[in-house]
Amino acid sequence: MRNFRLGRALAHGALVSALAVSMLSTSVNAQSVDLSKWSPEYVRSIAGTEEYDTGELCGNVTPLDYTGKLSFWYQGVFEGDPDLLRQYYKDFFEAFRATYPNIDLQEQALTYNDLLDKFRTALLGNAGPMVVRLQILGGVEFASKGYLQELSPEDVGWKTEDFWPGAMKSVMWEGKAYGIPTNNETMALIWNADIFKRAGLDPENPPATWDDVVAYSKQIHDNLGIAGYGLVARKNAGNTPYRFMPQLWGYGGGVFDETDPNPTYSEVRINSDASKAALQASYDMYVRDKSVPVSALTNQQADNQPLFLAGQVAMMISHPSDYNVMLDLQAKATGTDKEKAQTVIDNMRYGLIPTGPDGKRAVVFGGSNIHILNPEYVEGGVVDEAAAKAMVCFWTSPEWSLKMAYAGSNPGNLNGFKTKWMKERLDTIRFLDVTTSMLPYGVPFPTLPETPEIMNIIIPDMLQNALTGAMTVDEAADDAAKKISDLKGGGGL
Amino acid sequence: MTTVAGHAGLSRKHFVVQPSLLQQMWTSRADYLYVLPAIVVMLVVIAYPIYYTIDLSFFKTPPGLQLRDKIFVGVDNYTSILSSEVFWRVTLNTVIWTVASTLIAFVLGFGSALALHRDFAGRAVLRAILIIPWVISAVAASYIWKWMYHSDFGLIGAVLVQLGIVDTQPNFIDNIYSVLPSLIVVNIWREFPFAMIMMMAGLQTVPEQLLRAARVDGASAWQRFWHITLPHMAGVSTVTILLLAVANFNSFIIPWIMTGGGPSNASHIWITHIYELAFGRQRWGVAAAYSVLLFIILMSLGYFYVRALSANEKKEQGA
Repeated sequence: MRNFRLGRALAHGALVSALAVSMLSTSVNAQSVDLSKWSPEYVRSIAGTEEYDTGELCGNVTPLDYTGKLSFWYQGVFEGDPDLLRQYYKDFFEAFRATYPNIDLQEQALTYNDLLDKFRTALLGNAGPMVVRLQILGGVEFASKGYLQELSPEDVGWKTEDFWPGAMKSVMWEGKAYGIPTNNETMALIWNADIFKRAGLDPENPPATWDDVVAYSKQIHDNLGIAGYGLVARKNAGNTPYRFMPQLWGYGGGVFDETDPNPTYSEVRINSDASKAALQASYDMYVRDKSVPVSALTNQQADNQPLFLAGQVAMMISHPSDYNVMLDLQAKATGTDKEKAQTVIDNMRYGLIPTGPDGKRAVVFGGSNIHILNPEYVEGGVVDEAAAKAMVCFWTSPEWSLKMAYAGSNPGNLNGFKTKWMKERLDTIRFLDVTTSMLPYGVPFPTLPETPEIMNIIIPDMLQNALTGAMTVDEAADDAAKKISDLKGGGGL
Repeated sequence: MTTVAGHAGLSRKHFVVQPSLLQQMWTSRADYLYVLPAIVVMLVVIAYPIYYTIDLSFFKTPPGLQLRDKIFVGVDNYTSILSSEVFWRVTLNTVIWTVASTLIAFVLGFGSALALHRDFAGRAVLRAILIIPWVISAVAASYIWKWMYHSDFGLIGAVLVQLGIVDTQPNFIDNIYSVLPSLIVVNIWREFPFAMIMMMAGLQTVPEQLLRAARVDGASAWQRFWHITLPHMAGVSTVTILLLAVANFNSFIIPWIMTGGGPSNASHIWITHIYELAFGRQRWGVAAAYSVLLFIILMSLGYFYVRALSANEKKEQGA
């Protein structure tokens, strides 16, 4: 079932954007897959065309009989992930141990919101792991401080062209690569067609613009008394920037000039008129129309999922994996709740992220990267380089970078799109087309050491200041701009 | 004690010569040896971190630099903190949090202790039930309360709506005005059993014969409480209040888990703010300066605590 107007949206998308250009133009012809042809049809056409033997490929980097020891931290599954992903994580470590039986692997999973804090603390005590897989906005901070080794795809048998140019930007610091992308994703708009219908909206057409989202949310709330849009504004949670930044960029705003083809990050734009318009849209939904959950200030996406399944939220921004999460939650429901949940699942639709008033569509180019640490920051003062490269090679291989992103993301290694598992995935994961279609609209977070603080603290603070009435929209934006300027200048509290 | 025979005509006690400090220490050398391991451990795990924190508080630690590359800024961190609007807001929150939590938990605990001091059917069961909030995990309790307070689907709000007390679900923790009082309620719920246990122990020390004699003399229940029970409870009350105050100044789990200090910093107290500065924003120097200020305040409270304990001991020795 294809309930989104994908063809029309993509036609529009073809006209769109400096954003797409910025993502694609850098090395279109050199990529392992032709990004200039990127569309659901193209993705389907290349799926299942290549076979890769991970053991053989990684055996060229680190011999399969190598004896060594490896400590590894990674951002693991959490409560908002589907069970399918848990199984793949289990399979991955079993496969690694089977391929490298003589490497003593000590892995530790941490949740998205805990990983940065714990990793920073461990590094202060020179007690880090040898290898770490971090969220996309984390790598530059640690590279700039000298914690990470230089590491490029060529070091583990791949080519730089095997990865998204935008993803490679996220591991670059002062012209050198310090990691390899494991997975990359862009989110989509999810809506409940049944709620749309009951609220008097076209059930098969999502809001085209962010202004439409505000209007639809109000109409749904006014007519049905439920939340129209699943706003998220919690502090210290990655969910907030992933949902607000597309809105900010859509309206033409930004933290800096990160949406420009060649960003310099020198000019703070968070208090520009366009940025304030984006913040005003959130204010209108939360304060003026009261059409979003009141709990948005303490909620994260994992809190929105059950609300969506209960038919209490009509629209939200999330991954393709949310469909599988809904199936998992529905399976655990009982009695009439189970039937209600099934109704919601049957009416679940995915569409492209809305555009701003000028037709600008953007989404966070998300994902994770894998890094090797410098020995002096590792517990014991030694990094087993061969074992570390074996892990990096394994995770970034076409096979496992796809399988580990099966339901919620996309393979960091573009060759993953050519595997038989991608073909299988396209047949089994609903709405995957939509989120892969969003990839060319992806905008990477600014590659600055200050980015985690800006995205996880300053942006949510700005939202909370405006939405609680602690400040006006103008004051909140100006306050955020001052904090960002102070932070960039090395000062501020 | 050494005594020396002295001048004729004066009693022997006027010629008592106090041994020097070193002599006293030598005499008690076995005692010092017994506590030496504890002293060493304290020096390593307390004294050094305190020294390091004070030292760090004079440095700036920008996000792009490692901690070892920190920049000396003198007292800039302290002046920045003291001139920051957020600092004063967080300090006010901390004072409200500490004073309200401490006093209300103490009053509730004292009241419960008085009620449970009397013998009645089911007293043991009631006492066990009242202790539950204190013994369950603070993390688990925080999550449960967070859901009970949920601004859209919370149990408390739903009950209030069902009873017709309010028309719509109240906003407890997503509102800058109600969030702190809401968290204080949770904290009091967690802490009052501790005050109750302390005060129940204290009530055992009130002489029963005095109360009986007062009753025979016609003293009312209030007079017996005011003139006999309360004076006897002064020592344990002071200690309980000080312990509660120190614990509340150091609170972290409830505000961090339930709101993370938000919304808009409205529920940040010192410890959560220090944590965010250090681990969320890597302002190790500023966080260290905050910690030093907090350390000074807590040491002052500690001084009063030790004085209260000493006063109690003297009082007991006098009795």
